[in-house]
Amino acid sequence: MGRVREGRVLKMEGNPESKISGGKICGLGQAAVQVQYNPDRLTQPMMRVGDSLQPVSWDKAMALLEEKTGPKSGINGNEFAFMTGAMSGHLKVLVQNYLDSLGSKNHFVYEALSPAVSFAANKQIYGVDMPRLHFDKAKLILSFGSDFLGTGASPVHFAKEYAKFRKAPRGTLIQIEPKMTMTGANADRWIPIIPGTEGVLALGVANQLLKHDDFSKTVPADIVNLVGKYDLDTVSSITSVRSDLIGHLAGLLWEKSPSLVISGASVEGHVHGVQNAAAIQILNRILGNVGKTVDGQAQSPFPQLAPATGSFASLKAMNDGMGAGTYKAVFIYGANPVFTTPSFMGFRDNLRKVPFKVAFVNAVDETAEECDLVLPIYTAVEDFGSHVAWYQPEGVEITMQQPLMDKLYSDTRSMGDIMLDLVKQRRADEYKAWPNFFSYLKTAVTNIKPAVKYTDTDEHFWYDTLSHGVIHVDAPQQQIAENFSTEMLDLPTTVNSPDPKFPFYLIPSERHYFRDGRHANCGWLQESPDPLTTVVWDSWAEIHPKTAASMGIHEGDYLEVSSQNGTIKVKAYLFPGIHPDAISIPLGQGHESLGRFAKGVGVNPFKILNPVFEKNTGELAMFGTRVSVKRTGQSEIVVKDEGPVSTQMGRKLVVTLPADVAQLSKEI
Amino acid sequence: MSITNLLNNWSFYRQKRPYQGQYDLNRQYSEYKWAMALDLDICTGCNACTTACYAENNLPVVGKKRFNQGHVMHWIRIERYWDENMGEFPEQGASFLPMMCQQCEEAPCETVCPVGATSHTNDGLNSQNYHRCVGSRYCSVNCPYKVRYFNFWNYPSTAWPAPLPDQLNPDVTVRTKGIMEKCTFCVQRLNEAKSRARTEYRLVRDGEVVPACVQACPTSAITFGNIVDPKSKVAMMWKNQQVDLYKDMQEKDNSVRGYRILEDLRPFPSVMYLERVRDMEA
Ligand code: SF4
Ligand code: SF4
Repeated sequence: MGRVREGRVLKMEGNPESKISGGKICGLGQAAVQVQYNPDRLTQPMMRVGDSLQPVSWDKAMALLEEKTGPKSGINGNEFAFMTGAMSGHLKVLVQNYLDSLGSKNHFVYEALSPAVSFAANKQIYGVDMPRLHFDKAKLILSFGSDFLGTGASPVHFAKEYAKFRKAPRGTLIQIEPKMTMTGANADRWIPIIPGTEGVLALGVANQLLKHDDFSKTVPADIVNLVGKYDLDTVSSITSVRSDLIGHLAGLLWEKSPSLVISGASVEGHVHGVQNAAAIQILNRILGNVGKTVDGQAQSPFPQLAPATGSFASLKAMNDGMGAGTYKAVFIYGANPVFTTPSFMGFRDNLRKVPFKVAFVNAVDETAEECDLVLPIYTAVEDFGSHVAWYQPEGVEITMQQPLMDKLYSDTRSMGDIMLDLVKQRRADEYKAWPNFFSYLKTAVTNIKPAVKYTDTDEHFWYDTLSHGVIHVDAPQQQIAENFSTEMLDLPTTVNSPDPKFPFYLIPSERHYFRDGRHANCGWLQESPDPLTTVVWDSWAEIHPKTAASMGIHEGDYLEVSSQNGTIKVKAYLFPGIHPDAISIPLGQGHESLGRFAKGVGVNPFKILNPVFEKNTGELAMFGTRVSVKRTGQSEIVVKDEGPVSTQMGRKLVVTLPADVAQLSKEI
Repeated sequence: MSITNLLNNWSFYRQKRPYQGQYDLNRQYSEYKWAMALDLDICTGCNACTTACYAENNLPVVGKKRFNQGHVMHWIRIERYWDENMGEFPEQGASFLPMMCQQCEEAPCETVCPVGATSHTNDGLNSQNYHRCVGSRYCSVNCPYKVRYFNFWNYPSTAWPAPLPDQLNPDVTVRTKGIMEKCTFCVQRLNEAKSRARTEYRLVRDGEVVPACVQACPTSAITFGNIVDPKSKVAMMWKNQQVDLYKDMQEKDNSVRGYRILEDLRPFPSVMYLERVRDMEA
């Protein structure tokens, strides 16, 4: 939703009718207007002439597309690849139809920060990609690195759920992670841990619980046996978590039932990511949370609209194909792989081997720079569309996107219109009823009518849908399974033993307003201080004060952070919320393109990631890279919002009240 | 405040300091007195409110260099504190404090403005008259919360490269070099709601209007309303939390979370905060 005045959209708001956002909106949503009016938007098609991109008319651009990929081009399906970011709804269907018309199976959905490992773990255990989580029913949430308030599926939705959880009777949140996330910052207790050892800690806690008869019957004997290996001392020495804390956690879980145990990116981004997550989920089983705080989402009756969330495997397949010279043409939409892929993949060089590359963008990014044809498309506030989020708290919600204003630039086009034109290259007859994407979408959406038991006319349904902005479909809940086996919990015995040449664990952290970096060219977001460090307009390396002191590092000192695959130079920020053996650099900055607010700001840690892969899924193990840290001798001030002192210095600014004193139930 | 007004009412204005019991809400305000309640236990520090304020109030993006010089214009900022007695790690997380103009009843900024550019409105806002402001910056020096922001630069010419000006909110002026600005409680929204209500011969209903930050906040940590209306949510919250607009050094039960920041300085702020809670047994 947005406020529109004189044909211009001015401000974005959440849609109160959405069960997901509840009318709330995060900074990223707000920034949609800054994408719309971005001074660096691409306003006309560009074509490669020699080394540079030159403006070209749409007629010429479409003619070139026809020549290279049309029916007369002789291209066959195997020679063509279409990379997109995560997609859902009717545009996804159209992309699929286009690929079908070409006889191609090469739809590569790629998100650098995809939930693939977590989906794989859930699939093994619960038989579904993602169970539904009931924060409000939990008395205790034990989160192993799940930054549900900052990043992940839907921070706005989970923030709303979190607020309910904190109302009387106030639930307790415990967060265990190597680097404090926004969620960790809000925890009642935050516990640092050696990256990758979270599963071991979970089994250590399980071991304590299973000592009691109440719990020992909850899991098969072979699991009880396996968990038995994880005694306090072993677990403590592997994880660096004090042994009294492990017993304490078990005690709290016992006392505060039902609880909810969840895991996140820092658990999943390892070679044994799936097992790490499974070991954590076994706590839900032991504690009897499944069916109480963990159950099934609604089963969508429209599988074709369901989101494709992307995977590294798909990136790799495309990258290999390009490297082998398989493709004559590739299209890229909604992804910027030249920026988000590690150097070791050589994605840029492989892309260059493809004779004809097309990017569909709002602004020229690193990937578009490499392409032969760059087509400017409408922004989200100019276009029609439909979306289905991958986390659905209530029934299934189809979000309708509709233009809040007319297109700002006459030479931009709707992605849907372009796709429809492309489909018509080969299936003109089948699609002739639809002159544009709008009419296609209208027909397709109207087809949903019976599923929502709407009885009025099609026309009414369509306008109703647009005015509400969402379609709610009541759908039966998915049944979830509970499969746990000892193989699933097979954690390496020496998790992440340190490497003397690369003594630090690298934590490439996801910032809540930057994600994989696609939003970096918004002034508002660059100037919005990082919640934990308050740094603006830059990258930084978080290092624990104790470690910094032992290495003579002060805030602002430039450090050389090197992995086997490269070095980045970045300023130090002394941060107490990090494990002393880890160093964290936020993702999203370090652009070489994209526009004036992003280009040349900070560094890109994606580039130095090592080829370490999660063994079940083949996903890049984002937290599996080791680095060395060296002072360069140079330093520069860190530009940030916080003052020289990071405490309240005895003033009563933020007052903290112990939970047992507060009487939230008496509050209004 | 004109000079004539000042001279005519000299005895009223020369009072030394506000004293307890000097005011009474209902005598002071007949229709509206806007106020807030902000729950620090559910504020997650997400900055959605701050971005919303940029969007609503045409706040310029100043860039890294000027940010470093202290020229940032964020009318609402999220302060982040670590516990003083923290050991090696911040085991109880961080403390976040959204800080915007507290719309003080005895605003220390108002008394020092040499030209009366900042003064109280009849709905209890601390207003800033951009046309009158001469840029002395005394107000900013005197503000205990440091929430007044000065236009050191001519932002209209630099902060919005075309076509970004298209996104500016036409209900809010774009401020130019040499003047002071700050959170207005989104006065443009309040005025619109008040005039709409007036044309319908009624008062603004509770919840009918909210500032941009309140609207955006994903956890609904901020409550806004008219405390003259005893049935408004915000008035009930203040009462429930035993916080009284015209009291300083509030005496209240231990378990009650409401407080106002630096209230002992006696600015009588219109923003009540609710204490952050931590489960100490966790
Ligand atoms: S009330 Fe309005 S002006 Fe004040 S901080 Fe909130 S959004 Fe900004
Ligand atoms: S939007 Fe709400 S939760 Fe986020 S920082 Fe502001 S007050 Fe806190």
